[in-house]
Amino acid sequence: MARFVHSIFVLLLVFVCYVVSESTSDAVEQLDGEEFSEELLFRALPDRKVLSHFHFESRVPPTSSYGHHHRLFPKAIYQLVHKYRIREMELSFTQGRWNYESWGGFDPVASTNAKPPGVELWAVFDVPSDQVDASWKNLTHTLSGLFCASINFLESSTTYSSPDWSFKSLSSNLRYGSLPREAVCTENLTPWLKLLPCRDKSGISSLMDRPSIYRGFYHSQRLHLTSGEFNPVPSNHGIVLQQTLTVVLQPNTLETHGRKLQPNWSMSSLFGKTVDGKCSLAKSSNIYLHLEGNLVHNMKNEGDYSNFELSISPDTITKEVNPFHKQHPSILYGFSINHSSHNSKPFDLGFKWKLPVTWSCVKPPLHVTRFLMGSGNEKGAIALSLQSTELSQNLDHNQKCKLHVDVFQVVPWYIKVYYHTAKVYVNGILQSHEDTIEKLSVSPSEDKVSPGVMEMSLSLPCDLKSASLTLEFDKGFLHIDEYPPDANQGFDIPSAIISYPQFQTRMEYKQDNGSIKSPMVSKMQEKRKILSYTEVLLVPLTTPDFSMPYNVITITCTVFALYFGSLMNALRRRVGEEERLLKEKDKKIGKLPLLLSKLSAKLRGRPWDPPSSPPPSSTSKFISSKVILKIVLIAAIAFGWQYYYG
Amino acid sequence: MAEISETMGTELSPSEENRKVNSETSIFDHKTMRKTKPGLKRLTLTLTVLFSFLLGLPWLLKSVEIYRSPLPFRDIDSLSNEIDSNPFLYPCKFHVVVVNLDHSTPVKSNAENLGFLVTNHMSRFADANSCGTCENNYTVSVTLDSGNNCVQHQDADSSTAWRCGAITDFNYDQTLKNEEDFDDYLESVLGRNRVYTVVVVNTNEGDDNRIRSVVGKYRHAWIVCKVSDMNLLTEKIAEIFIKIFVNGLKEQESIQGEFIPAGADGKIVLSFNLLNANPRDWIYDWDFKEVDEKLLAPTLKALSPIANISVESQVLYHTPKSSYSYWDAEHESHVFSTKDLPFFVNSNEWHLDTSIAAGGRSKILQFVVYIPSANECPLRLQLPNGEISVTNGFISPTWGGVVVLNPPNCWENENGIHPLRRKVSPQELNQIFEVFMGQLRQLFGLKSTGFYKGTSGTSVLLSSQRGFTEWELDVLARQHACYNLRQCGATLGSLSRLVQSLPRMIIKDEIGKQVKFSLEAAKLAQSNASQGIYDASAVNSRHARSLAEDAFFHPSVMSVSYYSFEHNFAVYSPFFLPLSLHVILAVVREMKRYKQGSRKYNAWRAVTNQNSD
Repeated sequence: MARFVHSIFVLLLVFVCYVVSESTSDAVEQLDGEEFSEELLFRALPDRKVLSHFHFESRVPPTSSYGHHHRLFPKAIYQLVHKYRIREMELSFTQGRWNYESWGGFDPVASTNAKPPGVELWAVFDVPSDQVDASWKNLTHTLSGLFCASINFLESSTTYSSPDWSFKSLSSNLRYGSLPREAVCTENLTPWLKLLPCRDKSGISSLMDRPSIYRGFYHSQRLHLTSGEFNPVPSNHGIVLQQTLTVVLQPNTLETHGRKLQPNWSMSSLFGKTVDGKCSLAKSSNIYLHLEGNLVHNMKNEGDYSNFELSISPDTITKEVNPFHKQHPSILYGFSINHSSHNSKPFDLGFKWKLPVTWSCVKPPLHVTRFLMGSGNEKGAIALSLQSTELSQNLDHNQKCKLHVDVFQVVPWYIKVYYHTAKVYVNGILQSHEDTIEKLSVSPSEDKVSPGVMEMSLSLPCDLKSASLTLEFDKGFLHIDEYPPDANQGFDIPSAIISYPQFQTRMEYKQDNGSIKSPMVSKMQEKRKILSYTEVLLVPLTTPDFSMPYNVITITCTVFALYFGSLMNALRRRVGEEERLLKEKDKKIGKLPLLLSKLSAKLRGRPWDPPSSPPPSSTSKFISSKVILKIVLIAAIAFGWQYYYG
Repeated sequence: MAEISETMGTELSPSEENRKVNSETSIFDHKTMRKTKPGLKRLTLTLTVLFSFLLGLPWLLKSVEIYRSPLPFRDIDSLSNEIDSNPFLYPCKFHVVVVNLDHSTPVKSNAENLGFLVTNHMSRFADANSCGTCENNYTVSVTLDSGNNCVQHQDADSSTAWRCGAITDFNYDQTLKNEEDFDDYLESVLGRNRVYTVVVVNTNEGDDNRIRSVVGKYRHAWIVCKVSDMNLLTEKIAEIFIKIFVNGLKEQESIQGEFIPAGADGKIVLSFNLLNANPRDWIYDWDFKEVDEKLLAPTLKALSPIANISVESQVLYHTPKSSYSYWDAEHESHVFSTKDLPFFVNSNEWHLDTSIAAGGRSKILQFVVYIPSANECPLRLQLPNGEISVTNGFISPTWGGVVVLNPPNCWENENGIHPLRRKVSPQELNQIFEVFMGQLRQLFGLKSTGFYKGTSGTSVLLSSQRGFTEWELDVLARQHACYNLRQCGATLGSLSRLVQSLPRMIIKDEIGKQVKFSLEAAKLAQSNASQGIYDASAVNSRHARSLAEDAFFHPSVMSVSYYSFEHNFAVYSPFFLPLSLHVILAVVREMKRYKQGSRKYNAWRAVTNQNSD
C-alpha cells in the first residue's frame, strides 16, 4: 500500500514538473549520472549557403541526490547557477543578421538560434524580487569575466529591463538586456569551448576552425541553461546546459556557364577540417543532414530523391510526421560518429548535387522591418513595418480571423518615445487603437535610471497586405560623461522582438523503434513560439564639442570679469578730473609724436605745420601707437612663451 | 561726486577765487597744493572690495574642497612601527615532568636546577625574535615524580598541575612500545590546556646512550632514557621545546612570509583536479564526494581557525603536460626529472580556473592528479640523485601540488577502439590524498617527514589522523596571525602613503571606517596574542587584514577621477585673473592718489601755517 501511495506521489510529482516547465518536460526522465552529447546539423539554404548548427548538451542530476562534485559538467557553470540562484538563463553572442527571408524563420532552429547582433542575455532568478537586480548585476560581472566580453555594461539599470508577458510568460524575476554593439570574436568562443569536456580537441567541436567560422555570414554562439535545483518540490531535473553554435557559411561555388548553381559541399570544404572521431566523453555523437519540406517536394517533382549524392550513407533516415499546415514533410538523415581508431578514416560528410533544384524556406508569418523616420537632431519616429508572407496569405481570409502579433521593444532613455503617438496602419489606412491594440503595457523611460519598455499585443486582420506601427520620439541630451568614446557613430536601439502567439513550431520525427533519442531532435520536437528579431537602429544624437565646458567657463568668466571691471571703474574713476588732466597734458606734446608728425608730413609731401593747436585726433593717434606697441610686446611674450613652453 | 565737483569748482573758476584775493592766493600753487583734505570714499570702496575678496577666498577654497574622510595616519604609522619593531610574540608555558628519577628522594633543589638548565639551553636555541613565536622570558615549570612523592617547581598553577604518580599507574614498560596509545594516555593525564610538556621517563635498564624521544600529536613529547647525563637531557628537552613546539620545525627563511598560503580575505579554496591527459586511451573518474567527506573534512575542521577553507573538484580531459619525458629502460618507465618541473604544468591546456564561488581575493590552491596518456605511461618523477620519487608528485609553493597517477597496466588498451573507463580505486585515492596531505603541509611550511634530526639525536614525530597535530596548528595559528598583522600593517601603510601623496583624491567615509575597524581588529589581535588566546588572535588578525585590503582595493580609490590642480587653474583663472587685476590696480591707483592728495594738502597747510605765523 505504502509503495502504491509512493508511486502515486512520484507520478504527481512528475506531473507537477511537467506543468511547471513545459519546455523542459523531457528532462524529467531519470538521470543516473552526468551526460554529455554532441550533435551537428547541416542544412542547405536556398541562397547557396549552408547552415551548420552545433548542439552540445550537458546534464547533471540535482545536487540533493548527486552532490556537488562533477566529472563532466563544467564547474564554472555549476557554481554560477548556485551562487546567483539562476533558474534559467540564456546568453548569446551574435555576429551578422539572420536573413529571415531566405534562411527561413519558421522552423525550430531558426526561431531559437536567430539572435540579435551583439550580446543578448536574459536570466530568471530564484531569489526574492527585491534581490533580483543585485543578482543580475553580479551575474553580468561574472559572465563578463567568464566570456571575455563587456557584458558588465548590462549592469547599469538603464540597459536592462524586466518584461512582463511578451518575452517569456514566466515571472517577475526575469531580466533582459542586450548590447547591440558588442563585437564577437574568437576570445568569446574559447571560453565557451572551455565548458565542453573535450573542448575543441576531439569530437565534433574539432571542426571549429576559427577563420572559417568567423568568415561566415552569420555566427551565433549561444549558451542556455535551465536548472531545477531551486524548485520548491524536489525534482529529478538538475541543470541542463545547452551550448549551440549556429554558422551560415558559403561553400566555394563553382560557376558553370555563368549560372550559379547550388554548390556542392563537404565538411572539409566548409571548415577545412574533418572529424577524427567522437569525443570519448560524449554519450552520443551524431551528425544530421536536414532537407526542408519544400526542397523535398521540389525534388519529388523532378523524379526520385536522386537529385543529390551523399559521400557517406546515412545510418538513419527519418521523415517528419504531422508537418505544419499541410506542408511537405522534411527529411532528417542521421550519421553517428564512432570512436576514432588508428586505421579508421576521418569522417567527412560530402553533399553533391546531381540535378539543380530551387526552393524557398518557410518564412515567418510576417516579414518585419524596423526603421527610423524624420531628420535632424531633435526628433524622429520609429516605424515597425509588417509585411505579409505566403504563410499569412494562406490563412483563413475570414472577417473574424485575427492575426496576433506581440511586440517587445526596449528603448534607451535618451530616446524619449511618446507612447501616446503610437499609430497603427493596416494596408496604409490608419486604424483606431481599440481595433488593433489588444493589450499594451508601457513603462516609460526615466532619465538616467531606466529604459523605456513597450510590450504590445496587436491583433491584425488576417487578410492584411501590410501593417505598420509608428512611434514618435524626441532625442534627449546626455551628460558629457555619458557619451561613449565614439559618440559620433550614433547610438543603438536594441532589436525589438516580434512573436506570434498563434503559431507554434515543432518538427516531429518518428522512427520505427520509437522516437529518436537525441537532445537536438527532441529540442526540435518541442513546441516553440515563433520569434523574430528586428534590425538594430542607429540613432545619431547631437554630439557636443567635448572641450565645450572649458569654453563655456572661459566665456562666462570673461563676461563676468568685464562687467565687474567696468562696475569698479564706474565707482572709482573721476571722469571730470581725468579729462582736465588730459587737457593739461595736451599742451605739452612729447617729442616722439612731434617727430612722427614731421615724418608723416614728409611722406605725404606736404609742408609740415607745427601742431600749434593739435587736432583732437592726435591724442587718439598717440594712444593708438601706444596700444600697438603694447600689442607687439604681448605678441612677443606670447611667442616666446609658445617657443619655450609650447 | 561731491568731492569731484568741489575740486572741479576750485580748478575751473580760478577767476572767482582771484576775486576774493588775499595774500594766500599768491603762494597757492594748484599743482602742488590743495586746500581740501583728499577724500577717503573711493579708497575705502576699493579697499572694501579687495578685502571682501580676500575674505571670500577661504570660502571659495572650502567650497571647492573635495571630501576626504580623515584617516588615522598616526595610528597607522604606530601600528606598522610596532609590528616592525616588536615582533608579534605569544606567552608560552613549558612543563617538564621527570618520572622515576633515580634519586630516591626528589628534592626541590633538583627541580630548580633542572628548570634552570632547560631555560639556559632554550635561550641558546632560540633565535632572534622571529615573528609569531614565543616570548623570550620562558617559564619552565618542573615536576619531579617518583611515584608517590612529587616536587613542583615554579608557578605550578592548576593548569600545569601534574597528577602525581599518574605514570606509575600506567604500565608503561609494555605500553611505551605502543606509542599511539601512550600519546593518548598522556593527553588524558595532561588535559587539554595549552602547556607544552615533555615527560622524561627514566628507565633504569638499557643502554646509557639510547634515548628515544617521541613527539606526540597533542602538545607533549616524551623521552625514554636512562637519565645519566643531566646536561644532555636538558639540551634535548630544550631542543624539543624550541625547535619543535615553538618554531614548528621550520627553516628560518620559510617563516618570512610570502610563502604562507592565505588569501587576503582569509579564505583558502582547495581545488582538486583530476586530469586525463588523453581520454582516448582511458577515462578515469573518482568518487570525490567520499574523499571530501571522509578524508578532507576532519583536516578542514582542524584548520578552521587559520583560514576559512572550502573544497571543490573537477575532472578535466585532453590536458597533456607541457614538459618532455623520456623512456628509461632501467626503470621501465617514462621519466621526467626535477629540471622539467617548471614546465610540467601546462597553463594553456589545463583550465584549472579560478573559482566563481570564492571571492576575488581568496587564495586558491590547486591539487592535480595527472593521469598520463598511453604513450607516456608509466610516468615517473626522477629525483636529482637518480632515484624514482616515491610519491610521484611535487609542489609549487603558493600554487599547489601535482601527483602523477599511473594506470595499473599501461598496455591494457593498446588496440582498443573504445577508451577504458576506470574509477580511481579507494586504495589509490587514499594514497593520493596522503600525498596531497603531505603537500598541503608543505605548502603551509610544515615538514612531512616522520622524524626530526636535531643536534642531540633524532626525535620521532607522530602524525595525526587529521593531518595536522595540535602543536603544528598552534605554530600555524601563531604564524598566520603574525603574517596577517604584518600584511595588514603594510597595506595600511601603503594606503596612508598613497592618500598622503595625492592630496586631491576623494576618500569616502567607507574607507575611513574600514581603516578604523581594521586598526581595532589589529589591536584586538595583539591583545589576544599577549594573553595567549591563539584562535581568537588568528581570527582577529585575519579580520584586520581583510578589512585593510578592502580599504586599499576600494573601487573609489582605484578610480582616477580626482581633480588635479591644473584643472582648478583652468576653471578659475579666467574669472579671477582679470578680476584681481582690476581690483589690485584700482587699490594701487587710489592709494597713490590719496597719498598725492594728502601731500598736496599738507603742503598747503604748511604754507597757511607759515603765513598765519
